[in-house]
Amino acid sequence: MKVRDIVRRAGRSLRQAKARTLLTSLAISVGAFTVTVALAAGAGGQAYTDSLIKNNGDARNLSVYIRNDSSKSDQPQEHGTASEANRQGLLSGSDIEKLKKINGVAQITPAYNVSAAYMTRDDSAKQYDTPLSIKADHTTLPLAAGSLNDNQVSVGGVVIPESYLGVLGFKSAGDAIGQSLIVHIEKPSLMVGGKSTEAMDKTFRIEAVDKKSSTILHYQSALRISSEDGKTIYEYQTAGMPQSDQYYSLDVQVAASADVAKVQGSIKDAGYDVFSLQDIQAALFTFINVVQYGAAGFGLLAILASVFGIINTQYISVLERTQQIGLMKALGARRKDIGRLFRYEAGWVGFLGGAIGTLLAVLTGLLNPLIAQKLNLERGTELLQFNPVTSLLLIAGLVLVAIMAGYFPARKAAKLDPIEALRTE
Amino acid sequence: MIEVKSITKTYGKKQNAFTALSDTTFTIPDGASVAILGKSGSGKSTLMHAMSGLDRPETGEVIINGQDILKLKPKQIDEFRSRQMSFIFQSFFVQANESCYDNVSLPLEIANMPIGKRHQKINEALSAVELLDKKMSRARDLSGGQKQRLAVARAIVNDPKILFADEPTGNLDSVTGGVIEDLLFGYNKSRGVTLIIVTHDPELAQKCDIQIHIKDGKVETIKTRKGVKS
Ligand SMILES: Nc1ncnc2c1ncn2[C@@H]1O[C@H](COP(=O)(O)OP(=O)(O)OP(=O)(O)O)[C@@H](O)[C@H]1O
Ligand SMILES: [Mg+2]
Repeated sequence: MKVRDIVRRAGRSLRQAKARTLLTSLAISVGAFTVTVALAAGAGGQAYTDSLIKNNGDARNLSVYIRNDSSKSDQPQEHGTASEANRQGLLSGSDIEKLKKINGVAQITPAYNVSAAYMTRDDSAKQYDTPLSIKADHTTLPLAAGSLNDNQVSVGGVVIPESYLGVLGFKSAGDAIGQSLIVHIEKPSLMVGGKSTEAMDKTFRIEAVDKKSSTILHYQSALRISSEDGKTIYEYQTAGMPQSDQYYSLDVQVAASADVAKVQGSIKDAGYDVFSLQDIQAALFTFINVVQYGAAGFGLLAILASVFGIINTQYISVLERTQQIGLMKALGARRKDIGRLFRYEAGWVGFLGGAIGTLLAVLTGLLNPLIAQKLNLERGTELLQFNPVTSLLLIAGLVLVAIMAGYFPARKAAKLDPIEALRTE
Repeated sequence: MIEVKSITKTYGKKQNAFTALSDTTFTIPDGASVAILGKSGSGKSTLMHAMSGLDRPETGEVIINGQDILKLKPKQIDEFRSRQMSFIFQSFFVQANESCYDNVSLPLEIANMPIGKRHQKINEALSAVELLDKKMSRARDLSGGQKQRLAVARAIVNDPKILFADEPTGNLDSVTGGVIEDLLFGYNKSRGVTLIIVTHDPELAQKCDIQIHIKDGKVETIKTRKGVKS
């Protein structure tokens, strides 16, 4: 018999036992549904984590600190062997030189500690306090207006928060772009609590306006300036001071061609503590994977349970149709044909179950906006992301599993003695 | 030509052994109509099953056109049955849930006939039994006589050389039974198909060229009508 004919006959027998077919396939669809939703949630979770990471830090950025490894160096070091900065638990220019030599290090920006006295639109306007922040990494900033090249502030440029627009007298975010902003910088006094004696005004051009977003875990309203400008201000503020050329941490940008984990390892070997967002990302992904595979595992259990349902249904079907089997054999049908008929029938059940389960799962995707709303996520966030290829593979897999489950009933059917089968009324 | 040579079929084992056919021998020429007669339990059906290769007797030969079909492999016997034989049963065995068309299509599918060629064959077979107008009706909606006509259509659709009928009119009233008989003998005459009918009915047996009487698993008498060579 031709495969096409067998498949058609198998489908027809199923249609004649609609309720039984549907119930058996529903059992499979529970498993298919669970697996699909678990995978969709996993994919959505990863995508969400990904955007979370991108908005909160730069995965190619490493934060380097002085090694504070209690297990190794809890004994005090001999005096005179470490640099002044290192003795204070700080990093200095010599550390920058050392790190620059490591393969894959593209750029090193010290965490300059700078501050502004106030900001103003022009000399006569009102003055406002503001923190000053240096944007050294390539973290994505959600912008309300303007644009940044490669997520970096250009020299002489500044990014202001959306919340500053009102007090600075801008009608809209777009209004502020290209306008200038004066930042008053004071050189701190050497004496504790002393009044500063020196100050300068630095004019910045507003390059972009950034805004708060639910994917930013910690948002600080601040003026964001380039590393170069930060360096200038830092040098101005620390010139002649004992703490000049001392940094709490260094931001190391890893070259696009280099492997972040490898560079991180080299820096660690050079005797520093290194942290990267990749560490966090990896931990989060592991967590998501564990949850996802756990849920998918339950789905697989459901599928396993439904396999027995298929076997049972097919055995009943064989018993019901002994007469048909006998007739087919009398007409010269081969054992192989009869076996296939029942295996394909099981395959149809698997297909139906897989299709129903997947369809129901995809329908839950309609709840995405509701989920985003309930969890207070950014609008348009999709925590359930379905992959058509995975779904097709799953359905194909279920058809295969069902066909295998149909093996024993099919063998029984194929082995039936035609004379016995024709005797049954 | 069908040559049955000393066939013996035993059911059960040892003390319970029961010989349903013992040392049965006869010959049927091509294109003959044959009645196998005998009381209930005499071994008629058993003989038919052995002749068609559905069953395997312990000893003996069934030689059809020079080939002992009992020596064939299962695959070859299936192939042989599919191409050369067909069956009509007392209780019809039509597939109640399928349309008449699909019922008649089954032997062609089993014989692996290309899809394009089937349509015409099925229509011819259905019109031969005057069921063309019921083509798409489900078999369960047919009357008993129509069901048996459908079974006849299914039996002739693949142009068999040998047609076995086990009590084909047993479940039908005499008028409807007559229709079926006419169909079978008509087909036997027009196509030269060997027709082997198992029956209780002496009247039906009268119409056949050869009558083989079976008693307790043995051939009692063989009557051949004049003008038929055996
Ligand atoms: N599988 C079997 N096991 C044991 N005995 C069997 C089996 N099949 C048939 N028999 C016996 O073999 C004998 C012949 O059976 P068979 O079916 O050939 O009779 P029959 O002549 O066709 O009768 P009927 O006219 O009632 O159909 C019977 O006595 C029956 O009981
Ligand atoms: Mg019988």
